[in-house]
Amino acid sequence: MNAMIYRKKGALFLFLIPSLLFMTVFLYYPFVMNVINSFLHITALGDKALGVNQPWYENYVKLFQDPLMGVSMRNTFIMILLTIVFQVGIALVLALLVDNIRAGTQFFRTAFFFPIVISATALGLMFNLVFMYDGGMINQLLQSLHLQAANSPVDWKDTAHALTTMFIPVCWQYVGFYFVILATGLNNISPELYEAAEIDGATKMQRVWRITLPLLRNTLCTCLVLAITGALKVFDLPWVMFPSGMPMDTTWMTGTYMYQQAWKLGDVDYSSTIAIAIVVLGVILSQATSRIFKEKEY
Amino acid sequence: MKRIIAIMMSALMAASVFTACGSSKTAESEAKSGAPSTAAPAGKKVTLDVVTSYGGDDGNRKAYETAFKSWEQKTGNTIKDSSGTGNEDWKVKVMNSFEVGSEPDVLFFFNGADSNKLVKNNKVVSIDEIRKQYPDYAKNMREDMLGASPVDGKNYSVPVNGYWESMFVNTKVLKDCGITVPVVGYTYDQFLKDCETIKNKGYTPIAASLAEVPNYWFEFLAYNYMSAKDFNTMPQAVGDASGKAWINGLKDMKTLFEKGYFPKNTNSTTDADTNNLMSQNKAAFMIDGSWKVGWFEENMKEDMDGDGKPDIENIDVAFPPVKGSTRLSTDYIGGISMGYFITTKAWNDPDKRDACVDFISHMTEDSVVSTFCSAGSISALKNGVTAPSTASPLVKKVNEMNKKVTGISAAVEDLMDNKSVRTPFFADVKNMVTGQLDITKAVGDVIAAQNAFVAQTSSKAS
Repeated sequence: MNAMIYRKKGALFLFLIPSLLFMTVFLYYPFVMNVINSFLHITALGDKALGVNQPWYENYVKLFQDPLMGVSMRNTFIMILLTIVFQVGIALVLALLVDNIRAGTQFFRTAFFFPIVISATALGLMFNLVFMYDGGMINQLLQSLHLQAANSPVDWKDTAHALTTMFIPVCWQYVGFYFVILATGLNNISPELYEAAEIDGATKMQRVWRITLPLLRNTLCTCLVLAITGALKVFDLPWVMFPSGMPMDTTWMTGTYMYQQAWKLGDVDYSSTIAIAIVVLGVILSQATSRIFKEKEY
Repeated sequence: MKRIIAIMMSALMAASVFTACGSSKTAESEAKSGAPSTAAPAGKKVTLDVVTSYGGDDGNRKAYETAFKSWEQKTGNTIKDSSGTGNEDWKVKVMNSFEVGSEPDVLFFFNGADSNKLVKNNKVVSIDEIRKQYPDYAKNMREDMLGASPVDGKNYSVPVNGYWESMFVNTKVLKDCGITVPVVGYTYDQFLKDCETIKNKGYTPIAASLAEVPNYWFEFLAYNYMSAKDFNTMPQAVGDASGKAWINGLKDMKTLFEKGYFPKNTNSTTDADTNNLMSQNKAAFMIDGSWKVGWFEENMKEDMDGDGKPDIENIDVAFPPVKGSTRLSTDYIGGISMGYFITTKAWNDPDKRDACVDFISHMTEDSVVSTFCSAGSISALKNGVTAPSTASPLVKKVNEMNKKVTGISAAVEDLMDNKSVRTPFFADVKNMVTGQLDITKAVGDVIAAQNAFVAQTSSKAS
């Protein structure tokens, strides 16, 4: 019976069709429609198009001329960089540290992974309390340490601080996710390699540099692709903490700006254009990452 | 072994079936035994999807819950309540639900320009249509106050209570600053002097988030340049009376911002945070609506400041400061802007039609409407509202204010299309007050956007 299955591949295709249909209906068809919508004039979700834009590529010109789209792109690229440096970077450091301790490994794994299981909305509300202007946790702490006058709290959400205030929770939220992936990658490295290196007199740093990082390259590559594409899509936490690009339109991300155009301003065709820009950018960046950090066979 | 497990599983399943039968039998026998008034009348029981603005911290949330639960008990039907806070986001969500085909059966929504699209696209049923089958529908209401649709002049919704917008005052802050509570005739010049005193004393003069809710201050500052009769007009040019009033009002707002009378973080904070400035006795003035009375009652019922009386007693209401003599000092913004709609989807469902009519009739009967007007708001009842026996100190002050009203104008913001005009206009207020956007240009843009919307919708309708 088993031999029959391997000989006749048709049955395998039969099992693949439902997934393919699902993807076609819920991903490829909407994407094609999205491309078409970007050339039409649509003022509300679900409404019929009022006609083709004049000229038909109007939204694509607007995409490059819209100053708020520029802000969104700039913030998203900063987010990508910070994601690579802080999310993956901190996760790597934490994974290496936890890998080198004997007791409490499970505790740290759970502790670092915990933010992932909390909804981004709840985290957003929590960080709103932390960064609140009037009576927020940080301002209270600074006041109790006499580092700040009681009547002049810092507005952590003003134009000078907003981006930092937004990026810290977003980066912090996913450190645990990459930590778990990297910790699993570290577990797959044979301890015999470390023992041999130790006998040869290699220091701990040398072992990390010469054994751990090269053997972790493929896992790191996966993490980077996930981090970059994830940064392009980030929406919920920035929206909860800084709705509508608050303050002064400085905190737009590509995801939040697309949402604003579609749901709050009813500019469906322009939001479709932004969505295409996000997809194109995601494909280009993930391809570039895969090529730069090409996976190696060991 | 497998057989034994299979037999045991079968026995368990059979037992669970009998258990279920037992439960229904018990329920049936209970019903037969003659349950009191809670017993549902015969007929198919339905679940109605209802969306209202009585969600979140709305002052009438309790009255709404009590009313719909009593209807559930009376009829045996169920209400699936998806109410939210009636802000801009909520309006957008409601409109989107119609666009994606997931609209509710009964909707409590704005009857002005906000619902134009629902009327144009036949998404809601007119009262005339409903009365063909149910002649007594909404007969307890004054026809002239039902709130006819701007689209075709027909009535579509049954109102509950009207709204007013005016100024809340924190008397404790004023007292600490040596300022008397504003009375009728409170001038704008005096208001500026008071704000300066309040600011110098370390308090926030005006509790408002210009990033989120600049509309109430915009309304009154523009209203100062017009009268109650002509304020509710959309400008057609920056040079006409309405256009000038809007520009002057926005310029006054810019001045208030530059003088530092709004919270320091007004462009980066939320409405909820600025509300707390009032309840925590940190700010003096706030312009908001009748829906905020319940919020104050809920959030200031304790004696947090330790003066031996509930903090709610620190809150008073006054007419906003008047500039010039066009608007009378006792004119404010108000009207009946919301009502219960039956959606076409529910009307065409024979199982739900009766229930929708019965539900709205229950929610708008005289005794129920009176509970919604306990905060001194107005109603469309032919017989008027029955005054509540126990009103809070703030409601008593509201009632006193309402007695002095000389003119009421509906909010001008309701004339604008929500998505394409109002949302971007109010989002730009922060840019206007900081000087990043020229106020005259912004008003010109909003006129052009509204005209484009009107042209677009009229060509679509034709």
